[in-house]
Amino acid sequence: MNSSEYEFLKPQILNYLGFRGADGDPGVEEMIWACLKEVEEAAQFNCLYKFFDAPPEFLNAEPYREFLSGSKGVIVTASTLGIGADRLVKRLFVSDPAKAAVADCCASAYIEFLSDRFEKTLGDDLSYRFCPGYGGSSVNDIKYIFDILHPEKIGMELTPSMFMLPSKSLAGVVAVGKRAEKSCRDCFMAKSCHYLKEGKRCYA
Amino acid sequence: MLRLGKKILVFDGGFGSELERLGLLGDVPEDLNITAPEAISSIHISYANAGADIISTNTFGLNPIKYHGRYGLEEVAAAACENAKKAGKTVFFDVGPTGAMMEPMGSLKFEEAYEAYKTVAEISRDICDGYILETFTDIYELKAAILAFKENTDLPIFATMTFDQSGRTLTGSTPEIVAYTLEGLGVDALGVNCSLGPKELTPIVGRLLSSTKLPVIVQPNRGLPELKNGKTVYSMSSDEFFEAVSEMVKMGVSVVGGCCGTTPEFIKKLSVFSGQNVKEHEHKPLTAVCSQSIICSLDGVKICGERLNPTGKKKLKEALINEDFDYIVSEALNQQENGADLLDLNCGLPQIDEKTLMPRLIKKLQEFCDLPIQIDSSDSAAIEAAARVCNGIPLINSVNGDEAVMARVFPVAKKYGAVVLGLAMDENGVPKTAEERLEIAKRIIKRAGDYGIPPEKIMIDALVVTASAEQELVRETLKAVGLVSALGVKTALGVSNVSFGLPNRPLLNRTFLAMALGQGLNMPIMNPSDSEMVGTVRAFELLSGIDKNSENYISIYKDFVPAASGTLSAKKEEKSADTLYDCVRSGLKNRASELAKKELEHRPPMEVVNDILIKALNDVGQLYEQGKLFLPQLISSAEAAKSAFAEVTARLPDSSAKKGRVVLATVKGDVHDIGKNIVKVVVQSYGWEVIDLGKDVPPSDVVNAVKKFEPFAVGLSALMTTTVPNMKETIGALREAGCKAKIFVGGAVLNPETAEKIGADYYTADALEMAKTLDSALLAER
Repeated sequence: MNSSEYEFLKPQILNYLGFRGADGDPGVEEMIWACLKEVEEAAQFNCLYKFFDAPPEFLNAEPYREFLSGSKGVIVTASTLGIGADRLVKRLFVSDPAKAAVADCCASAYIEFLSDRFEKTLGDDLSYRFCPGYGGSSVNDIKYIFDILHPEKIGMELTPSMFMLPSKSLAGVVAVGKRAEKSCRDCFMAKSCHYLKEGKRCYA
Repeated sequence: MLRLGKKILVFDGGFGSELERLGLLGDVPEDLNITAPEAISSIHISYANAGADIISTNTFGLNPIKYHGRYGLEEVAAAACENAKKAGKTVFFDVGPTGAMMEPMGSLKFEEAYEAYKTVAEISRDICDGYILETFTDIYELKAAILAFKENTDLPIFATMTFDQSGRTLTGSTPEIVAYTLEGLGVDALGVNCSLGPKELTPIVGRLLSSTKLPVIVQPNRGLPELKNGKTVYSMSSDEFFEAVSEMVKMGVSVVGGCCGTTPEFIKKLSVFSGQNVKEHEHKPLTAVCSQSIICSLDGVKICGERLNPTGKKKLKEALINEDFDYIVSEALNQQENGADLLDLNCGLPQIDEKTLMPRLIKKLQEFCDLPIQIDSSDSAAIEAAARVCNGIPLINSVNGDEAVMARVFPVAKKYGAVVLGLAMDENGVPKTAEERLEIAKRIIKRAGDYGIPPEKIMIDALVVTASAEQELVRETLKAVGLVSALGVKTALGVSNVSFGLPNRPLLNRTFLAMALGQGLNMPIMNPSDSEMVGTVRAFELLSGIDKNSENYISIYKDFVPAASGTLSAKKEEKSADTLYDCVRSGLKNRASELAKKELEHRPPMEVVNDILIKALNDVGQLYEQGKLFLPQLISSAEAAKSAFAEVTARLPDSSAKKGRVVLATVKGDVHDIGKNIVKVVVQSYGWEVIDLGKDVPPSDVVNAVKKFEPFAVGLSALMTTTVPNMKETIGALREAGCKAKIFVGGAVLNPETAEKIGADYYTADALEMAKTLDSALLAER
């Protein structure tokens, strides 16, 4: 973790922690830095992807269709920080719950960061990662991604209630040849989102 | 199979890529054994023709957990073996992981994994020549599989795992840990498959070779895949592949083959190795214990934490009897933080059935703490139950020179690859002289050999006597440590026994420790929270040259300032706070408990609660709501209030300070519990007793807990839309059972409308709101 990565991740972590512009205790920043280093140490990032010219079946429906319209192809991806990060948070919850909460948010920000960074290596005309659950799509669609990629190989599991394990795991699709930015417009959480209420958003 | 380890054997190559080439890649490749037997056997035959000595069946996903095909397991297994036999070679039944994640991070129980593989063993043992357990990513699952095959077949077992570029498996095991554990479990050959290309695997193979005397297998992928025109392709040529594998053959690999992307062409190249002599590889026998991610070699000095032994520890006794795992886990983590390298675990109390509790404790500890374990019991059934579920290679404490004891424990140790601590005594007691103890040590080592346990798997405890009772024997103990060390055997001592009945015990303990270290003691069993004892070990490591360039010592003591009391404390002090209120406000946990004690000296307990703790919590809560403090600070304050509360309740034995009970659970199917854990801390800080049922809790368990504990409230958490129906079901079950407790719900996808719809009494958005709503509901009730 270098300082520019830290500076990039910090606002996101503060956001996840519910920081709302108050004077952060300098102790908390110190804790974020320490936790990020521990998360980095504990994490074993792994990812899988497959490229498709024509979208796989489950993407031929809204909202994916709109997301992919005008694209030249699609990349299906799955990535995980591995169980080390989960173990770290679990352990910290016994010894230092405040630190556990911070480490959990650090790990969430870190998996997004590593996945974004990895996707950038796949091309420079790619959209953001659209994940099942976004824009009114069903979380259950994650199972199609599992069928396509078999991320069990990188130690991921999908439980019957559609939870991915390890908990810091992502599964989504990226449009090729199309620039698209994330927005809150169709998010299923929009109604009750506390970020939105404060005029903010949950992503970097 | 006689040639294994002497002559090189060649395995077949990738199967998936061949199926793809034949246009046969379907949903369930195992079903092709029945639907396309000719195509499957043609692939086997092509590998046999290429020169493979061993053909593996097309059964990678054939286990009761993973297989979802159209046929019965037995039917597929029979067809698969039949197809493979057509190649006319030795047939190994191919066994892959279940695809489900093992406990504690996942939901698959060790026993369930064992049962699944037992089924595979039963349907295949009469129709194949051996097993290749391959592509495992979690050594715990592989252990379950190995036990299942070893206990239910007599056929050879080869086991391979995958590693990523960091040189670890997905659950954090290094090649050294994998080799040590698999050799301990008694496989016939071990190694690495899939993962990476042969070049990337070379260093991993080197590490495996230097960590085991067993034959090593390597089945690499066809190099690293590349993204060409948006497609994933393997482009390494069979010549390049051959060159890279040749390097590993020169290093001493015994079995070679291929994995993803490799074809008969690749195996044909490798076939020149078949029947060549295996190059002998250097391997240094090791006395070590390990967990899945930490290997603790007993070279030098390793601290065995003694705090999880109830002898003379009232709190731990209570915790063991009441199964208060929180306390036990925090004691374990404390020892780890203070420098323990492995943990002694003893639950020998008359009220406790060790055979049942020991494995549960091991699993609980493994959930949080990754230190290797010393199983400390005199009950061989408990030892076996514990060694079985231990994720790694444990140390067993103990045997002695008594033949009957050795006959009970050695077979268990052999089966699980454990190291055994032998006490230098026998049925006649502890001998007086060092020489007599040495003789017993030799006897133990010899008898272990009769059970197939090599000398490096035995450690000797030369036995500490109490200086107050037998002063002249202290010297004999030290001498015995020296004599046993001279044999090349690692030694242990329960150091603090020396000072029983004498004043200033710590002084005697650390002096004796230094003397014993000087004699070659490897493993003091001691309290790692005694910083002066740990300091003695660190100083010894520096002075004896174990701590190269004094690096470890300097990193620990670089900020050392001699305290007025002259202690060696290397820990930073908490920030200061003058009052209990400030402590809670600033979240200073340790100081809060100290100051609470002081307050309680001159104020009634309830006054401390109402005038200080509640006030501080309310102020913190207000700042949190205003966005002036945020989550970690809120939690720290809650923790500080909680530790102050513990002092208050200690003075109120009737627990009148407690407001009532709250049962918390994350509902069935929901495996994320961080939110619920935060709620727990905050609600506890408000003086509620929390019964935490954990995550993925079935409705019936919540109902049972409510019946048993009669709580004031039940808090249910769900993170995803998919588990809200389970929350509804849980509420329904509670209502049906006549639950009078208030039902609270929370979690990312909940909102007041959903809460109402599913029949909850309250929705609260966060931990603080829950704590405050509980208080107001209680007030309304009164």
